[in-house]
Amino acid sequence: MHFLELLVELLLMPILAFVIGLAMVLMMRRIGARIQRRVGPPVLQPIYDIIKLYSKDTQISHGLMHEIGIIMAVGGYIAAETLLPVPGLDGLADKGGAVTLAYMLMIPALGMALGVGQCANPNGSIGISRALTAMLAYDIPFILVIFGASYVYGTTNLAEMISIQQQQGVSSWGIVQMPLLALTALLILPAIMGKHPFEIYVAPAEIATGPMVEMSGKFMGGLFVMQCFQLYTAGVIFTTLFLGGGVYWITFLPKIFLVVAIPMSVAYLFPRYRTEDVLRLMWKWPMLLGLIGLAVVMK
Amino acid sequence: MNELDKIPVRQEISVAQGSVKRSNPLANVFDELVRFCQSRSMFMLHYCTGCGAIELPPAMTSRFDMERLGIQPMVTPRQADILLITGYVSVKTLKRIILTYEQMPAPKYVIGICSCTVNGGMYWQSYATAKVLKEYLPVDIYIAGCMPRPEAVISGLRDLMGDIKSGSASNWKRYFQNYDHYLGNQQKLFDEDWQTPTDIIAEAEHYGLITDQTLGEHTALLQKHQQPLEALEFSLGEKREKIRGENQ
Repeated sequence: MHFLELLVELLLMPILAFVIGLAMVLMMRRIGARIQRRVGPPVLQPIYDIIKLYSKDTQISHGLMHEIGIIMAVGGYIAAETLLPVPGLDGLADKGGAVTLAYMLMIPALGMALGVGQCANPNGSIGISRALTAMLAYDIPFILVIFGASYVYGTTNLAEMISIQQQQGVSSWGIVQMPLLALTALLILPAIMGKHPFEIYVAPAEIATGPMVEMSGKFMGGLFVMQCFQLYTAGVIFTTLFLGGGVYWITFLPKIFLVVAIPMSVAYLFPRYRTEDVLRLMWKWPMLLGLIGLAVVMK
Repeated sequence: MNELDKIPVRQEISVAQGSVKRSNPLANVFDELVRFCQSRSMFMLHYCTGCGAIELPPAMTSRFDMERLGIQPMVTPRQADILLITGYVSVKTLKRIILTYEQMPAPKYVIGICSCTVNGGMYWQSYATAKVLKEYLPVDIYIAGCMPRPEAVISGLRDLMGDIKSGSASNWKRYFQNYDHYLGNQQKLFDEDWQTPTDIIAEAEHYGLITDQTLGEHTALLQKHQQPLEALEFSLGEKREKIRGENQ
């Protein structure tokens, strides 16, 4: 019986993540449109895009690694979703923990790198090298944040973190206990989501969308699906660490949407940073804030 | 060139569309859903060849906002559904347009904006301009005008959406079905050793779109001149040394 329950949870968690992710992608595009004084796409636009991409007649594959790369990119996130506790569904959260999650989140970028490498398009290679450099830039502050949160709660178990915050009320939420670390996480959130102003690696005008240059049809569809997971994962991690997670979906959903909406609203106002500037920026301010925050929580 | 002129370019003959009405009612529903999604999500590669390009930014940005119709700009031909050609097409540009068009994944649509793509427009007497775009590529929709206003562009795109939804926008199949015709016109402009990296005949075979108009004298010429694609030589070091040697 327990095994069956787990199986249902493992199936349900990625599906829920995908549906919520679709809504987040829509929200992101709508926010961008409103900031530019446009109407924005219709409600079902992300679904239209994905169905259209998967139904293309021509599906250009550049070899086995190209296909496996996309599967790794999507699969890495699907695996990560099962480690993220959401209301009512714990999945593998109490067996995995924050450190496993941090590892899991690197798999999609590496999968992309493998797939793009097989395409042998120089623009793609430039794009993926920039993407991996950006990952290096935001991962160190991210690890600081995870370390700090684990220190404060005394556990790396995400489900336990939520229950601690839920039992002791708002005053025990991460954002009250470690505001500096929360600010650090908020600063690196756009980079984790791969959005403005840290999206030099896609650079549509200069290197023709970077890693995606040779992706068409179902491969691009896979990346669209990955983007849904990417936004959802970023939102849920922040909510779990700092905003007390959620016992009920009705309180949980506004939190994760808010977390994704904040960097989106700010990000569209800035031009893109160059890769070396991303590195410089990430290793200076968020890292400094993170280290100070770590010192504060460790006294 | 004289030899080439002797080969007649066949008139493009519309071949009956190979859309088989499926017996399974669920399959028809599925096809309709797919066509609906295809019409509501179009990625657009705008090949801004001429002055018509200036009408696209207002069509895309806050004044007219194409994104509410699901139309987005895309920058690589691999992801694009629509090839937008905005203005006069010089002979040199046409080569790039054909290269781009052949790299796009099917189903793909071509839109010619401005009268220059319809009949040469004010470049009618120019020696360097390809006048009628549809002789070289199957054009789905022309948006005439010099230049058409953004409203006209959006109205044209809506027409294309309607065609896609009803399943009648299948001009991309014509390129495979009448390849000899298009290739003949291309060869008259670019000389007989014109070739592109994309193997159109193999692709036509893959889709089952080979007709008696696909292969002909012009494709025979293409196969005669065809050379296998080779990787470019990496010779930066030698070149640098050569330049250094010249400087000394």
